[in-house]
Amino acid sequence: MRAATVHKWFAPALLLVLLVTPLLTDRYIQYVLNLVIIYVIIGIGLNLLLGYAGQFAFAHAALMGIGAYTAALLVYRLHVSFWIALPAAGIVATIIGSLGALPALRMKRVYLALVTLAFAELIQWVMIHWKWLTYGTDGVKLKAPEFFGFSMHGDHRTFYLLLLIAVLLYIFAKRIVESRIGRALVAIRENEIVAQCNGISVARTKGLVFALSAFYAGIGGALFAVTLGFIVPESFGMFQLVIHFSIVVIGGLISMYGSVLGALLLTTLPELLRGFQSLQEIIFGVLLMVFILVMPAGLAGLGKRKGWLPQEILSRNWRALRDRQAAAARDAASRESR
Amino acid sequence: MTPLLRTNGISVKFGGLVAVNAVDIAIPEGVIHGVIGPNGAGKTTFFNAITGLAGLSTGSIDFAGDNITRQPPFQRARLGMRRTFQSVQLIPQFTVLENVLIGLHDHIRANPLRSLLSISGRDPAEEEAQQRVVETLRFLGIESTLFKRPVELSFAQQRFVEIARALVARPKLLMLDEPAAGLSPSEVQGLNALLRRLRAESDLTVILVEHVLSLVFDVSDRITVFDNGRVIAEGAPADVEADPKVKAAYLGDGHA
Repeated sequence: MRAATVHKWFAPALLLVLLVTPLLTDRYIQYVLNLVIIYVIIGIGLNLLLGYAGQFAFAHAALMGIGAYTAALLVYRLHVSFWIALPAAGIVATIIGSLGALPALRMKRVYLALVTLAFAELIQWVMIHWKWLTYGTDGVKLKAPEFFGFSMHGDHRTFYLLLLIAVLLYIFAKRIVESRIGRALVAIRENEIVAQCNGISVARTKGLVFALSAFYAGIGGALFAVTLGFIVPESFGMFQLVIHFSIVVIGGLISMYGSVLGALLLTTLPELLRGFQSLQEIIFGVLLMVFILVMPAGLAGLGKRKGWLPQEILSRNWRALRDRQAAAARDAASRESR
Repeated sequence: MTPLLRTNGISVKFGGLVAVNAVDIAIPEGVIHGVIGPNGAGKTTFFNAITGLAGLSTGSIDFAGDNITRQPPFQRARLGMRRTFQSVQLIPQFTVLENVLIGLHDHIRANPLRSLLSISGRDPAEEEAQQRVVETLRFLGIESTLFKRPVELSFAQQRFVEIARALVARPKLLMLDEPAAGLSPSEVQGLNALLRRLRAESDLTVILVEHVLSLVFDVSDRITVFDNGRVIAEGAPADVEADPKVKAAYLGDGHA
């Protein structure tokens, strides 16, 4: 009973705390917190693809870059409103990311990883060398968006925008994974034959998850561009990809909590290690390897095993069903004993 | 009356090996059709050919009035053809609830936008599906496993969960690949009773590939005997049992 109460109030309480945090943070802490929120969005997107669907695709950082550049270039070059550039970033990333489903239908694991990695390199090459469009390594500036004439300048103001988008995208993803689509993703990850023999179209489901995952990367990229105010191609290279993978693997594959925990840990960790720039990548790499070897279910897996985190069962409102079943079982037992 | 399933001279080749060789079988609606034969006779390949997992080199398949020869496995499943596997294929990190819900994938037909945008967070189509899972588990006598994971279940329970996943979609054709393998005699009795109840209470058609011959001969309306990819005998259980060719296939040529 107590656990159920905690579960019911945890999300609203967390939201309330988050709503007042900007009153308590200085500019730097607020900036880091904003990055955490952006990486939650990106982590959820990659978890759908790499975790739930088990697709070894390595283009997530490139897709984030596509989102960032789409938003920044639309605003900077065409003076499009950010409120149009943001969804546009999501849509452009979705379209390009969906192309990733094409090789995924034919190849598995290492081959898919290689093809998507090559694709990611190509995107970065375009960002650097197609100077006419992207200004190459000079980068693109992005000024703060305006909301009905009210400038969202500064991290304290953009925080609320980021929070709203992250909460909506979290709920959206949670509902997806708790539906037949989420179960189909895991079924494809675990056993494509079983999936097919139960009426699941592997092609359609893979196409859907590549698109969804890219949409999250694109939106995350656009918000990243707003938060940094300035983007360069190097931001979306190999190290960015390592951050994404670390978030999902260390946080926990096939877990919504995992994306949040991973984003929190792996965004704050490099900030704590700011003095040791060269050490950062090593620590990320080592952590990633240790988790893959020792704790493949990640922090979320550990939390669930220890009972600190609730179970995640992929069916909407499964708790209500469990309570009904438990009540029915108690009724039956008491009738029997009478 | 046209049969529910008809194979017209189907063959499946793996390189030089002909695993299924020019097989004609017609199975009418509502029967339990047993398929027996020695190891390597082509029974499972025959199953895979029907469900679309193995490609045909010749022949065609009609199911419920449609020619399904060119349809991929998921389309055949959606037409009402569900199967179990020789080695139980459950998804280990899923609870029984989720595993069986997989079987309802194409039955949960909610308006996706309404389901995703619902303010209350409720999803009637999903709730209906959950209820169907509970009812199916109850029918199989394993309702209490609903929130357990496969590792927490006995082997027989795992087999029944897989049968539940196939049954929950209320298929026209249920294909069981050695469901009695690894079960104790009393559990085989339970399976026997289940098959009889299915026949009595529904118009479900069952194809039963099985090595436990007592079960096959007891519940089947008709039996087909495979050997070396060919059908060597077909008929009522008593006729098949008396057929010298069947004895030869099982006991070796010397006894024919």
